[in-house]
Amino acid sequence: MRVDPSAGLTPMLEVADISVRFGAVQALERVGLTIHRGEIVAIIGPNGAGKTTLLNVISGFYHPTEGRILFEGRDRTHLRPYDVAALGVARTFQNVALFKGMSVLDNIMTGRLLKMGGNVLLDALYWGPAKKQELEHRAFVERIIDFLEIEAIRKSPAGRLPYGLQKRVELARALAAEPKLLLLDEPMAGMNVEEKEDMCRFILGVNDEFGTTIALIEHDMSVVMDISDRVVALDYGRKIADGRPDEVRADQGVIDAYLGVAHA
Amino acid sequence: MLDLLYAVVVGPVKDMVGAPTFLAEVVIGGLAAGLMYSLVALGFVLIYKASGVFNFAQGVMVLFAALTLVGLMERGVPLVPALALTMLVMVALAFAIERVVLRPLVNQEQIILFMATIGLNFFLEGFGELAWGSNVKKLDVGIPDSSFMVWGIQINRLEMTAALTAAVLVAVMAVFFQRTRIGRALRAVADDHEAALSIGIPLNTIWIVVWSVAGLVAIVAGIMWGAKSGVQFSLSLIALKALPVLILGGFTSVPGAIVGGLIIGVGEKIAEVYWGPLVGGAIENWFAYVLALAFLLVRPQGLFGEKIIERV
Amino acid sequence: MIYREAGQFKSTYAADQAVFPIRQDRIIGGLALVAAVVALPLVADEYWLQAVLIPFLIYSLAALGLNLLTGYAGQVSLGTGGFMAVGAYSAFKLSSAFPWLSIIIVFLLAGLVTALVGLAFGIPSLRIKGFYLAVATLAAQFFLVWLFNKVAWFTDYASSGTITAPPRTVLGVMVTGPEATAPVRYLAALAMVALFAVIAKNLVRGRVGRSWMAIRDRDIAAEIIGVRPLRTKLLAFSISSFFCGVAGAEYVFLYLGSAETLAFDINVSFLVLFMVIIGGLGSILGSFLGAAFIVMVPIFLTNMPHLLGVAMPVALQKQIELMVFGGLIVLFLIVEPNGLARLWQIGKEKLRLWPFPY
Repeated sequence: MRVDPSAGLTPMLEVADISVRFGAVQALERVGLTIHRGEIVAIIGPNGAGKTTLLNVISGFYHPTEGRILFEGRDRTHLRPYDVAALGVARTFQNVALFKGMSVLDNIMTGRLLKMGGNVLLDALYWGPAKKQELEHRAFVERIIDFLEIEAIRKSPAGRLPYGLQKRVELARALAAEPKLLLLDEPMAGMNVEEKEDMCRFILGVNDEFGTTIALIEHDMSVVMDISDRVVALDYGRKIADGRPDEVRADQGVIDAYLGVAHA
Repeated sequence: MLDLLYAVVVGPVKDMVGAPTFLAEVVIGGLAAGLMYSLVALGFVLIYKASGVFNFAQGVMVLFAALTLVGLMERGVPLVPALALTMLVMVALAFAIERVVLRPLVNQEQIILFMATIGLNFFLEGFGELAWGSNVKKLDVGIPDSSFMVWGIQINRLEMTAALTAAVLVAVMAVFFQRTRIGRALRAVADDHEAALSIGIPLNTIWIVVWSVAGLVAIVAGIMWGAKSGVQFSLSLIALKALPVLILGGFTSVPGAIVGGLIIGVGEKIAEVYWGPLVGGAIENWFAYVLALAFLLVRPQGLFGEKIIERV
Repeated sequence: MIYREAGQFKSTYAADQAVFPIRQDRIIGGLALVAAVVALPLVADEYWLQAVLIPFLIYSLAALGLNLLTGYAGQVSLGTGGFMAVGAYSAFKLSSAFPWLSIIIVFLLAGLVTALVGLAFGIPSLRIKGFYLAVATLAAQFFLVWLFNKVAWFTDYASSGTITAPPRTVLGVMVTGPEATAPVRYLAALAMVALFAVIAKNLVRGRVGRSWMAIRDRDIAAEIIGVRPLRTKLLAFSISSFFCGVAGAEYVFLYLGSAETLAFDINVSFLVLFMVIIGGLGSILGSFLGAAFIVMVPIFLTNMPHLLGVAMPVALQKQIELMVFGGLIVLFLIVEPNGLARLWQIGKEKLRLWPFPY
């Protein structure tokens, strides 16, 4: 779904003048960006530019030393990670953060935790409402499993899967939360061409079918060019470009910092 | 209500101030006991700093060292050769531990290694008893357990010697870790086993070195403890007290182990002497742990430890 | 040949999520249940009931409690003995203060008291992880034992310093006290542990269990997904303490008859931890297997020399016991960190293929 940013709706996410500091290191300096509903925004930049830090700030894992984060127009700067999740933000991690001791199915089911209300006493009996809820969520999770084509491994322990599949399971877990905003940290790292094509298909599919807004950190420029509506480039904690993919690709600052020039 | 406050707060403080020489003696007694804890904690810190393993069995190693020494001396071996032989035994133990316990568990999480050392603890307890018998033994290292007076305060010779030995040990350790190449390698290993392996640090050798040094520290601690109160199995339980010491001082800090031990030692003694009578005594059983708990709430990395930063 | 799933298809998710999805398992389970309830009390002699089966059931309950906390939620605890003591002493006080109260209710209330204590203890411990937490639980262990020792109110000012289980009946049958027979006590313990095992299983296979395991495996990621670490850990602490409290009460009321604080010292904490490690962290079945194993080792060591015609002094036996326990812990952690439960699973998988090798 290609959204017209000037549609006049409140942006899904607004990051304004965010700065993050770790001791003497300025990880992010006055970074601002806006993501509109239904957009796919790619965040690019060399290693250490602060891309993951930016995602961590949005997730609530770090709190910025200055600046504000507005989610759907409301100030959400100092929330705890689980409150941010409750707002409808889900993410994947650079170093796959699956729960290694659980099966794939259970991992994805943990993604549904926020949607599962419940009462410990009823859970203890696993009867009536508790069981019904469990099965409803199981049905939903199975649809995601179908969508991402991971039926065959649903009972495998997550720790034993190959890297590419682990990333897919992580995506499934994020999707299970029915997020409004999906943050993907290098979802295609370490994948071969086929796996990347699959992932692109899934990401576009999620955006298309569910209207999920997506922000992803990605190093593969062909992927970035292909699937994103907008690209934001960071370098040394500062934003150096923000615009349509072809604009950013041609931006001299970005070329100097990151892309380099194609030699004939 | 006021009575209660008086009894808990004012009364003990009055007692303390009213008899300052007694207070000094209690404090010194506490320092001495604390030093013993510090020596045991030192062994922990060494192993943790150098291999990232939290060696629950350190206390039992102290006991084992003392048992071996006493056992040899009982069979007529003179002090110095007995010490040398005990050192050899501890090195052999280090070899065995490395081969049987550490190597197979090389990349497991810390908690698994910790539990393995609990198992080791029990094994060595049984084995020590098996090898050397279970009665209390007297350990005589030629230093009289007598006191001399300084400014009206009694000071015990044995405790003084222990203090000096500990000071020397600490100085040596500090230099070792900071200045030598091996020290640096040890710190690398503690940080990340795999990474250290991949740059060619001989993990196995390092571990043997470390555990042997910890064995040496265990011998010193064992001697000090044993000479004071006889070599017996409660020694390993006392070593459990080294854990609160580590929490106070920080798991990776050599000075921290010393300071932590002294604080715990003095704190315990003062609590027992001045507040103990109010509640029927034996506060010493839990004071150290509760103090550690309080510390954990306020400063989890201890006084000198490194702050843990989590990354996602 | 016999143990095959062929032909058993699951057409609903409910069937897939069942505890015993394979029909053969259900049959075996059913038979085992019948044996345990009906056959054993008739067949087993006094010694077996008193020295083996009853303590096995009680330790299983404690191991279950600890497994929920350490195996599923990843919070290491060395305070199990202390919490069992809380259960025992609360049960004692409750039954002496309210003699008309049914002993089953007393057990449950004792569990509740322990859960509250566990909660109180859990709150400060939330920021602490790993073996820091283990040391903190030692604080609970030593403090609680000291408390019950020092404060005579807990023993109703008994001069002997022990608490004794008063005679109580359930449905007219004497369940506790000197008159209660071993088969009756056995059935009581069996009923309790079966009930709690069912509750535990239901908790761990649903939402609660998953949030525990998420915290255990990757607490930061769990928090970012929406798990609230405080609540999750507190729930684990309280439920685990509840189980251990009931186990402690049963320990005195159904097994020992009378006890002093020595019965709940740090060695008990280690023993239960060993049961959980050897049996399998994060496994309900494992708690039982581990408890069975640990209960059997001393029995085995006591009886084996007899069978071999060799005399073994008691001290030596204790030493060998320590060495065996310690050695097995290390062995299991190296070879199969998931314990006997995993070995059991592997055995079942091999059985499915039998008589074919693969």
